[in-house]
Amino acid sequence: MQQIGKSQLALLIILFLVGSTPLFELGIKAKQDAWLAMSVAAVAGMLLLAVYVKLQKRAPHVGIADLYKFHFGRYIGGAFTVLTSIWLAYESMRNVRDFGELTTMALLGFTPKWIIMLLILLVSAYTASKGIEVFVRVVQLLFPIVVISYAALIMLVFFSGLVKASRLLPVMENGPMPIVRAVFPDLISFPFGQTIVLLVFLSLVKEKDAVGRVSYKSLAIVSLFLVAMNALVMCVLGPELSELTSLPLLQVVQLVRLANFLERLDIIVTLLLYIGLFVKITTLYIASLFTASAVTGISHRNLVFPIGVLIYAMSFLEPNNTYHIWIGLDITLKVVPLFIVVLPLAMLAVGIRKKYRAEAAGGNGRQQAEN
Amino acid sequence: MSEIKQAAGTPLSASVQANVHAVNARFGSSSDLVVRLFRSDAAPERVIALLYICGLVETDTINESIIAPMMAMELPPYAEEKGDLLLESMRACVVPVSSVKDVTTLEEALQYMTDGRCLLMADGSAMALLADVSGGNQRSVGIPQTQTVIRGPQRGFVEDVQTNVSLVRRIIRSSDLHVQTHKIGEQTHSNVAVLYLNGVVDPSIVKEVYRRLADIDIDGVLESGYIEEFIQDESFTMFPTMMNTERPDTVAASLLEGRVAILVDGSPIALIAPTTFFSFFDSPEDYYQRFDIATFIRMIRYVAYVISMVFPAFYIAITTFHQEMLPTTLLISLAAQREGVPFPGLVEALLMETTFEVLREAGLRMPRAIGPAISIVGALVLGQSAVQAGIVSAGMVIVVSFTAISNFVMPEFNMAGTSRTIRFGIMIMAGLFGFLGIFLSVLFIMVHLASLRSFGVPYMSPFAPKPKKAGIWRGVFIRKPWWSIVLRPMDTNLRNPKRQGSGRRPPAQRHSRQ
Repeated sequence: MQQIGKSQLALLIILFLVGSTPLFELGIKAKQDAWLAMSVAAVAGMLLLAVYVKLQKRAPHVGIADLYKFHFGRYIGGAFTVLTSIWLAYESMRNVRDFGELTTMALLGFTPKWIIMLLILLVSAYTASKGIEVFVRVVQLLFPIVVISYAALIMLVFFSGLVKASRLLPVMENGPMPIVRAVFPDLISFPFGQTIVLLVFLSLVKEKDAVGRVSYKSLAIVSLFLVAMNALVMCVLGPELSELTSLPLLQVVQLVRLANFLERLDIIVTLLLYIGLFVKITTLYIASLFTASAVTGISHRNLVFPIGVLIYAMSFLEPNNTYHIWIGLDITLKVVPLFIVVLPLAMLAVGIRKKYRAEAAGGNGRQQAEN
Repeated sequence: MSEIKQAAGTPLSASVQANVHAVNARFGSSSDLVVRLFRSDAAPERVIALLYICGLVETDTINESIIAPMMAMELPPYAEEKGDLLLESMRACVVPVSSVKDVTTLEEALQYMTDGRCLLMADGSAMALLADVSGGNQRSVGIPQTQTVIRGPQRGFVEDVQTNVSLVRRIIRSSDLHVQTHKIGEQTHSNVAVLYLNGVVDPSIVKEVYRRLADIDIDGVLESGYIEEFIQDESFTMFPTMMNTERPDTVAASLLEGRVAILVDGSPIALIAPTTFFSFFDSPEDYYQRFDIATFIRMIRYVAYVISMVFPAFYIAITTFHQEMLPTTLLISLAAQREGVPFPGLVEALLMETTFEVLREAGLRMPRAIGPAISIVGALVLGQSAVQAGIVSAGMVIVVSFTAISNFVMPEFNMAGTSRTIRFGIMIMAGLFGFLGIFLSVLFIMVHLASLRSFGVPYMSPFAPKPKKAGIWRGVFIRKPWWSIVLRPMDTNLRNPKRQGSGRRPPAQRHSRQ
């Protein structure tokens, strides 16, 4: 049985949620109030997290698959588990695809996407096959790199005098409605609602009583960071430009010119986004593995290959980037609330079925990860 | 100290003739087996035999301490009555050698003879005596050849395991330094000594070392590398999970940190386990020099290690894919140099790196007398002339040279070898996928490192996972002043995690009494 520590959990939550988020100017539907939209979404995300933590408290030793089972019974719960596993794999594939798109856009214009996606997926699969313990260690190693790079980037953007806070004005030009429309369902689904994967990992944390506190704290930290980054991009580019560019953060950094040699910092941004995407791909991959393994009873090591193939195959379903983004922002966002809002709330309302009560409380219930 | 497998071997006969014959037959009448038969004044009717293998023993000692007193010995009267008593009395009264042992089987006798003991037998006794007279030619303790320091002890291990253990014991003069010797190797019967500091070390690690050593079943052990490959946690990794050292002070330092050291007969290189990735970046000298300078040098080592792994790959990636990364003037001068070069960056780099590796290997293996030739060929012909001939660019030569020099900074040769090998893989990835290739390679290496363990200790600790004892990680990149190193740096269940009391900071300024 693999276990993770509470500090590892915190870093995982932070890096997972940062992920590829700074890549996009989220909430741009609210124009210059995008950062307000992010803030509202963060608060909503915190509420969702409270729901997840509450569910987890009911059965602290099991993952999402058994939670479904305990609440909905063996068959309905099983069906939901399968769906969730596929959805998690799909989310992972979206990030793989993002990785490919980002690379062809920013770094390697002529390299075919299939090989880029294959390579990152291979590294992810290798990590997944080593298990969650190794993965959180990698996250621990990556964390300082990410923190230092973001700090350096933000400082450079400030020093080069690009930030004009007036671009955030006027606040709520058209009343609160655009903000609300930006938040629901888009911003809830991505990125904040993705904390649903924690239902897979929280049961693996050694310090059970610290789970809630650590999760809230990390979500608060990462929300502050994301809102700040969102506002920063807006301050540099303004609402019109940030709506037009496909990778606003890259655009921002390309404007930085300092001391005649600190130019071309795109590479740092790309590196950061790569790290974020890698963490996201692998987290979702492992979450999908654990969920699938819980419902099929096959050890997750043996599932690494089939699910990897599934993710890789799915990444070819969309013909081009525009289509990919359209599906991501329009179709997927409408489906996702089922998993992140509807099912958890339903579970909260239904409560654990009588026959599973003892198992849920006892902690001798079948663990999700086989080893 | 020695543990011999108690095989139910052939018992010795009471007849000296028969025994000598048997020993001779077992050794195949080898010419280095010396058999000396004589009679003593005390028991003139009984033949006494002395057998030893020349070269393994001190002949002077045999002459003075065994044969001479034996020939002139006077035995107590009861010695005549029973055969065994003759030997017993010889041991008790006659042979002035510190370590004497009885044996009853032929196999055991042969075993000890090859360790450098001489065999004493007397007619009418089915027992034999083994006197320790080992000696012969050995390298004397000298300056370590592979790990040099400017400040610090200048003694290195030799090939004899007993001498090596004594070198360590001279540093740690404590009964807590425990030494257990195992015999490993069906044919070589090499002594393998396990050293640890009782009361500090995590006992489960010692037990694990014993368990893994006991699993080894091989015909011969010629060097500690054999043992290392058998007992390391993972075979298929490029990263060493055990530290090698030639220095007794490094072994002593590791023992004080709660590690286990393994010394092997025939090898001046000791193994140290468990080891983490970061401990390979510590030179023993870090702890002898001033802490601020040592910290600076340690930082340099980390930087150099990264450079020696990825610098050529960066050069390839930038010149092939990401030219826009460079400031324009540098780009122009690089492009001008590369104008006449017929190969793409990757081929050029592989060419030069391979050349350098060949030069380096040649420099290592060739007879010393032709050493200067290599520097001439290397520096002039392959460096300057290759650039002038337009085969490689001058920038490439700089990159390769700097990479090579960086690699020599590592205090541990096996860790340096890792970056030397991995470099080629990263170069190829960089040649194919630019920065993406470098990123993926480094990420892969990180995942791999995070998955390694050395005797159960995660390889990347104290960073991933974070230690249970706070603050250990601070000592990794920074060599803290001695008074502030309170905790032992290993995150295992040490019996005694503290190495000194806290609060021993000296006052900022010390005044003399006057």
